[in-house]
Amino acid sequence: MPERERSRIAALGTALTLTLTTIAACGGGGGEAAGGKVTLTLGYYAEAGGPADGTMRKLVDQFTKANPGIEVKIESADYDQFYKRLRTQLAGGQAPDVWLSDGVLVQEFSGRNSLRDLTKYASDLDLAGYYGIDIIKKGDPQGRLFGFPQGAQSTALFYNKAIFAKAGVEPPTADWTYDDLLAAAKKLTQDTNGDGKTDVYGFRAYSPSFVESWWPMVKAFGGDVLADNGKIAIDSPQSREALTWMNRAMYEEKIAPDPVTTEALGKSQILFPSGIVAMQFGIYARIQTAAQGKIDMGAVPLPKGPTGQRGDLANINSWVVNRASSEPEAAAAWKWIKFFAGEGPQAEWMSIGEAIPINKKVAQTPAFLNPATPPTDRRPFTDALADADDLGLNPVWSEYTAAITKQVTAALSKQTGIEDALKIAQTDAQAVVDRFKPAG
Amino acid sequence: MTGSGKLVEKLWAGLFASPYLAHLVLLTAWPVLALSYLSFTDYDTVSSPNWIGLDNYTRLLKDEHFWNSLLNTGLFALLYVPLQTVLALVLAVGLNQRLRFMPLLRGAYFVPVVSSWVVIAYVADAVFNPRTGSANTVLGWFGADPQTWLKSPALVIPTLALVAVWKGVGYMMVLFLAGLQSIPKELYEAAEVDGAGPVRRFWRITVPAVSGTTFLVLVLSTISVLQAFEQVYVMTGGGPGDASEVTVLYMYRQGFEFFQMGYAAAVAWVLFGITLVLTLFQLWLQRKWVHYA
Repeated sequence: MPERERSRIAALGTALTLTLTTIAACGGGGGEAAGGKVTLTLGYYAEAGGPADGTMRKLVDQFTKANPGIEVKIESADYDQFYKRLRTQLAGGQAPDVWLSDGVLVQEFSGRNSLRDLTKYASDLDLAGYYGIDIIKKGDPQGRLFGFPQGAQSTALFYNKAIFAKAGVEPPTADWTYDDLLAAAKKLTQDTNGDGKTDVYGFRAYSPSFVESWWPMVKAFGGDVLADNGKIAIDSPQSREALTWMNRAMYEEKIAPDPVTTEALGKSQILFPSGIVAMQFGIYARIQTAAQGKIDMGAVPLPKGPTGQRGDLANINSWVVNRASSEPEAAAAWKWIKFFAGEGPQAEWMSIGEAIPINKKVAQTPAFLNPATPPTDRRPFTDALADADDLGLNPVWSEYTAAITKQVTAALSKQTGIEDALKIAQTDAQAVVDRFKPAG
Repeated sequence: MTGSGKLVEKLWAGLFASPYLAHLVLLTAWPVLALSYLSFTDYDTVSSPNWIGLDNYTRLLKDEHFWNSLLNTGLFALLYVPLQTVLALVLAVGLNQRLRFMPLLRGAYFVPVVSSWVVIAYVADAVFNPRTGSANTVLGWFGADPQTWLKSPALVIPTLALVAVWKGVGYMMVLFLAGLQSIPKELYEAAEVDGAGPVRRFWRITVPAVSGTTFLVLVLSTISVLQAFEQVYVMTGGGPGDASEVTVLYMYRQGFEFFQMGYAAAVAWVLFGITLVLTLFQLWLQRKWVHYA
């Protein structure tokens, strides 16, 4: 029957077109230098119209005024969008000349031969004057400098002064151990309206942002995630002990919300600013979020684990330069990086409270260490920075940490036993690391 | 018509078809060819592709996470396709009456269809948020325990399927409405004279008469659910754990988050193969139950 034929062809045609359209990628357009002027494409992530975006644009203006030979073209987007676009741009050879890289991604791009080695450029600076150089170098197997610090993050224990005062609990100190943390959290956990449900938790143990959750804990208990020999090290008695501590806090002592409750309460990052938890591990940038919640907060060093270690971690967000950029563009990019690392711009950047200044002189000013806004003592962050380890950087960081996170979250949600989860995490993550073949 | 007249006609036809042909070649055929090539390479999007033969495909066979994503997609399809089809038909029959405000009602079912997934996700959160959502309030009325819905590994796919049905049912309903309106009135009148009640008329006249549309709806829903991405990406990101990681999301992650474009291309081909086989199977099956006037 003709109608039947037609419908059959139509259905098959629809099927083909619909399935085939799943599969397409695209590139973008880019510009070159004009009239002796160098056009520098500068990429960074920031919330559009937010303080970071505003300050960055202000600094770009200062930079172009000081360098009339350089024209800057800005490409910015929020974090997720920025990296999504960047990866497609790299594939199409249209990536910016210089861009702001999350510290953990520097190795992903340099491992794929997308970045310029900045070691030579950086020889005109006294590198001892900046935080984070060692961590960036540690990420590269040959100790090269593939990024230059832009802003540093380290982790501290944040606490809500009002909740502590109300419960009559002494504030945390730098001498705290995980036992002290647990004991205080028990006293702080409360059902304030008597409906049988916890309204204030003493501590936030789990967060999808693992820098502020299981990663420092695994290290404090003496374990590691990626060993210095490049092998995955997550499956260890120490990791088991750390995760057991976390599960005890969430399910036995019930002093911290479990992963499901955390998500149900509305994302882990709002728990502290909204006063649902009295304490959290937080990176420096969390001061901004907590300040929006008008929390009178303090920050102290992370507690010590059974081995006396704190598990301090640092992430050094960095400027990186596109390997495909021309010499003049790369030189202009380095000028921008040097400008941004200077005292004036660093002080300006510091004022938005997003990162620890990487210029040590600026980080040692009272304006940074003892500001008028809480936490009024910010030394714990710079102290942590001095002791901190890197976040197990390598070219497949996103993929191997995703493999581990999946399993650890399953263990912390009690979907998988801790022992099994760590075993799978170890195998999966090691497979990811082994699969990677360096470019070039 | 003269010979030269026919030629002019053909030229015109070619001219009018050329934008579509260009589109087909440049944006469909070429990417498909490139994709087949890439699926046999190790390609990190930055350095040039490196031929590795069938490695990506053999790795897929052993990749538990890929199988898990297929399983999730399959479960999604099993819940979504039948529910969507039945509900769309029932709604279409209900809205095929001559009543006041009918266009308004039909429009109401169509609003979710044209809304973006981001908007839908907000609405879904108002319903399925474990703390503040109305779904748990309703469960409470019946004395049932509150559920964690999208945060629960067991409930996440059923919840996603429910939301997807809500969003998609209006479109399928319109297809059914068109089908219903082409049924001759005389058939119903004759059946009524013969004493057939509404239920009998529905099963004996309506259902067979729209079987062609039903087939189309089944094929379209199956394909759309196999391509589910945006909804899962926006609403759960594949979580909790990997309980809602569907195949297209898995492909996206491999390609655009982990720089494994070659492997992602292989996933795309396997998914294409599965979709094609399912569609051909549905085409074959239609002979047994689809009636064409």
